[in-house]
Parts: sequence; structure tokens; C-alpha cells
Amino acid sequence: MSEKYTGPLERIDANRWRIPKSYKPGMHVDGVIYADDALVAAIKEDKSPEQVANVACLPGIVKYSLAMPDIHWGYGFCIGGVAATDPLQGGVISPGGVGYDINCGVRLIRTNLTAEDVRPRIRQLVDRLFANVPCGVGKGGIIKFKKNELATLMEEGSRYVVRKHGLGWESDIEVTEAHGCIANAQPDLVSDTALERGKDQCGTLGSGNHFMEVQVVDQVDDEKVAAAMGLEEGLVAVMIHSGSRGLGYQVCEDNLKDLRDTPRKYGIELPDKQLVCAPVHSNEGQRYIGAMGAAANFAWCNRQIMTHLARQTFAEVFESPAERLGMHLVYDVAHNIAKMEPYDVDGKQVELCVHRKGATRAFPPGHPELPERYRHVGQPVLVPGDMGRYSYVLCGQPGSMSDTFGSSCHGAGRRMSRGAAVRASKGRSILKELLDRGVIARARGRTGLEEEQPDAYKDVISVVNVLDAAGISKKVARLKPIGVIKG
Amino acid sequence: MPRAITGPMTSSFEIFDHTADAGIRIRAATLPELIQPATDGLYTCIGELVGSGNTAPFRFERTEAAPDAATLLRDYLQELLVLFETRTRRLSRVQVGEFTSTRIAVAGESQVVDETRSVYYREVKAVTYHELAIREIPGGYEATVIVDI
Repeated sequence: MSEKYTGPLERIDANRWRIPKSYKPGMHVDGVIYADDALVAAIKEDKSPEQVANVACLPGIVKYSLAMPDIHWGYGFCIGGVAATDPLQGGVISPGGVGYDINCGVRLIRTNLTAEDVRPRIRQLVDRLFANVPCGVGKGGIIKFKKNELATLMEEGSRYVVRKHGLGWESDIEVTEAHGCIANAQPDLVSDTALERGKDQCGTLGSGNHFMEVQVVDQVDDEKVAAAMGLEEGLVAVMIHSGSRGLGYQVCEDNLKDLRDTPRKYGIELPDKQLVCAPVHSNEGQRYIGAMGAAANFAWCNRQIMTHLARQTFAEVFESPAERLGMHLVYDVAHNIAKMEPYDVDGKQVELCVHRKGATRAFPPGHPELPERYRHVGQPVLVPGDMGRYSYVLCGQPGSMSDTFGSSCHGAGRRMSRGAAVRASKGRSILKELLDRGVIARARGRTGLEEEQPDAYKDVISVVNVLDAAGISKKVARLKPIGVIKG
Repeated sequence: MPRAITGPMTSSFEIFDHTADAGIRIRAATLPELIQPATDGLYTCIGELVGSGNTAPFRFERTEAAPDAATLLRDYLQELLVLFETRTRRLSRVQVGEFTSTRIAVAGESQVVDETRSVYYREVKAVTYHELAIREIPGGYEATVIVDI
């Protein structure tokens, strides 16, 4: 695996470190990593800061190449990477800045149920979720979409499955990032292979670090903002983490292959060929953007269908309609995506291509893209931790617009490889250890729980604290898991 | 560091740690002999896949203008991944017609995976270009492939 990072990391302040653009030839801007002293020591253990420096070499990159505190080694871009390019200055789009799982993201559904309401039936609830929500290798969804319907779904996003199939509430759309639809998506650019991989997978969880979790709000850090989100200490919520499934993976694969020789065509020199890219305004760039949009819309449909399945399951177990259980969607965020967004650059409003690779949008109060409900408090930012400790809900702050292209972190970040996690599990029952922590878990894959055990992840509090202190996103509520299903 | 080889290299693969994903390291005496263990390595990342009759022919061929054996190997493994995901099939017989720095040609047979006798470990999203390499080592070749989990 990668060696340690030995390049420069200059302290900017208590929460930021700079890689100066003089560090390596080709860097157009500095790298900036959000981390405190405790985190930066671990960050240097792999070469992810080198990847931040490499991204700084992308044509048209604006201001700096960023990384959030959950930074770790990825493909081309590090996980936790954020980079904005200016298309009018030859700025590029890079599939490595989005990832294979296009629009992997998280949504949170609140309920009126308290922990006391749920605990007597938690085992039944988790068992029914496990039965009702397709998860794991080879599990198909409840709807098998035909090719023409897939095209519509990829064009219209989650509103399609809500309005055509009744798999959700109209109100869900308003509180989904981008209203669950990237405009101008081009489903015709999605290959037949991608359609074959994805056609049975819309409404399925997947495996690996994807999950559906029943959680209890066990700490509120900002009552006013939590109230706006419908969250209160003691209430139960459901968090879903999943993405575009095989369709998105194949869209990325297809475009990585198509773009192999594109940098050479445009005279772009790259320090890492995994940063393969094309100018945003090129034919190749527009093709990737169109296909990525279609895959992103598929992912929103995916999470929307699972929302419906979660509501159905709660209704079944608690013998009450989901509406009466107050199961409203708090928000849905994408954390692997590239979007065109306006930012102030040297006093002018410029439309930039913002890559978020394991980073979450975090718009502050007042941002016009936010739904009315959140315009006065800021956008909910959903940050999964691990299945033993907690996850966090944050909200975007003004610092995100000035400093991080409207971005925050996306998770805790792994501290242990899958293999190391499995070896560390020898002689232990992760299932029992979770039970001892008050978490009922069900997993389909033979090694899923071992690979995803809490010890495999950093403590998410160390990540969110940095961005809270830096004025990027502030803590709203902590959610403790009491039940989890995994593929 | 490669081990000292005192005789013909035995084809082999091992799965190695790679933070959030999985790495496959393959060794063989010749380039064509890398193909079978690479195939086995990919399937091991997914699980214990037991085939069950319903045999169908398989063919994969690709040519690169510039020498790039590693990319050809990656492309082949990606094809196997797609075959598994879209048809629930795994190769039961692998016959390497050619594998050079510019061309790969593999034929064989695939079988439907019997899900009642198979065990799935995890979903593989893609065979990546990350740390993708084939290098000569004493006695043969070593290939490194990272799969995205």
C-alpha cells in the first residue's frame, strides 16, 4: 500500500494546513487540508496529502485543492477531496473527483417515535427491515425497471418514483439535494452494460459500507436548528447510506476508459493518470457530465425507494401509517458528485465545477437553493460515523461558502483496512459486541460486520469538531445507532 | 520484495490489505499464466462462487496500440465482474490464447453461480487502475490489481 507523506504541511491555523504550490511542479494553487493537530499525524500515514497536491495541478482549478478532515487515500482524488475548476479558464472535470459510486449519499428520516417506543420491538424492526430492504450481493429491487422507464427515471430523478409509482411523499422532493434531480442529465449516454448492471438494483442497499440504520437522537447541540429539522433528544430516526449501485459504477468505468487518451488530446499533463479529465466545455467533458447526471438521478431514486420501504416497515411493525409516525425526510445529501455552482472569485460571481469526492455540500443560512424550511438555519449535513458509536447531523455555515466551496466532511474515515479488521475480529463476535452496545445488527455478507466494525473507523467526533471550529458546518445533533442492516 | 525463486514459479494469487478496498497480487512464470490466478483472485474478493452447470462459451479479446499488459489484464477482470453482476456467471474453464503487452485473448466457459451453495463476502464495484502494474520479477511476473469495494 501507499507509503507515508513526507512533503510539507504548513500550519495555517488550528484547523487548517497548507501544502504550498511550490511543493511540486505543475501545482497551480496551494493544497489546504482541514485537520487539527491530532488528526494531522494520522493523515501523514498515507499519501493522501500527495493526492491533494496532485489535484492542485488540474487545469482551471480555483483558489486551492481542498481536503476535509476525513481525508484518506483514494483514486486520483483523495477521499474527502474538494476541488473547483473554472470552465471558462479551461477548467476540467475529472471522474476521479466523483468516484465510482456516483451520488453515493445519505438521507435521514425522522420519526415521532421515542427510544422507549422502539426498543421493545427493535429486534422485530431490524428483522423486518432486513427482510424488506434488498441488500447484499445479487439482491434485486422490488421493481424491475424496463429500459425505457430507466431512461425516464434517470432524466427526472426521485420525483419520478414518487409521482409515477407512489414510492414516497411529494414533500420528500423539496428536502432532497437538487430536488433529487440533476438537470440536463443524458440517459442516452449511459451504456447498455451500465443499464444491465443497474436495471434490477434501483431500491437496493448494496454492501460494503452501505447501511440502513435505526438511530436515537441522544444529544442535541443546537436546539433551534434541530427543531427546524424535526429532531429532538430521544426521538428515533432512520439513516440510509447508498448510491448509484452497479449503474453508477459502470458509468464511471465507461468514462474512465473513454477518457484515457483525452488529457493528451488537450495537452493536459497529469502527475497521476488516475486524474484523467477533460475540459468541462469539451465534447468529452459534456458526455461525462451528462452520464454522471443520469447516474446521480438513479441514485436519488434508489434512496427514495428505500425510504418508502423503511416507512412501510415501520408502519408494519408499529401498526400505524408512516404519516402518523411522522416519518418525514429531514434531508438527502450527495457526497460523491460534481456540480456547477456559483461562487465569488476575486469579487466576481463565477460558475464553477465543484468536485466533491467523499465530501458533502453544506450551504449556509440564506442560500437560495435551500428549501424554505432550512433557509434560516442552513442546510442539514449528514455525517455517518460507525455502527457502534454515533453519527452526526450538522448544518452549513457561512465559512463553507468563503472557504470550502460550500463543502463539509462526509464520514469518519477508515483507520483499519478490511483485512486488518477481519483479522482483529478473530475470536470475537462483532454481532455480540454490537448487542452489548445496544445495537441489533443484521448483515448478509459473510465478512460484512467484521470489515465494518466500529474499530475500523475513526471517531467521527474528531472530524466534525474541526469543521465546527472552522466555521464550515456546526454540530446540530448526535445520533446513536440501535439497529443496523448491511449487505 | 520478491522471494528468491529456485525453480519454475508456481502460479499464485494473494489478497492483500488496501484500506477501504482489496488488492490482488498475482505471480506466475509467464504473462499468460497470470490469467487463471487473476481470475481466481477476483472471484475470491467476491466470495466462494460455486458454478452449477448451464455452461456457456466465453470469449474476451482486446488489443492495445501501445504496450500495456496491465490495462489489458484489468479490462479482462472487469469483463468477468460484469459477467457476474449481469448474468450471475463465473468462469469454470479458462483457456488463454494470447497475453502479451499489446493483446489479450481468453476463451473458456462460464457457469451460472449456484447461490444456494455459494457464499458472498462483498460487492466489488470495479477493477480499478489504482496501483495497476505488471512487472518482471525473478522467475516470472507479478501483477497488482486493486478492486473497489
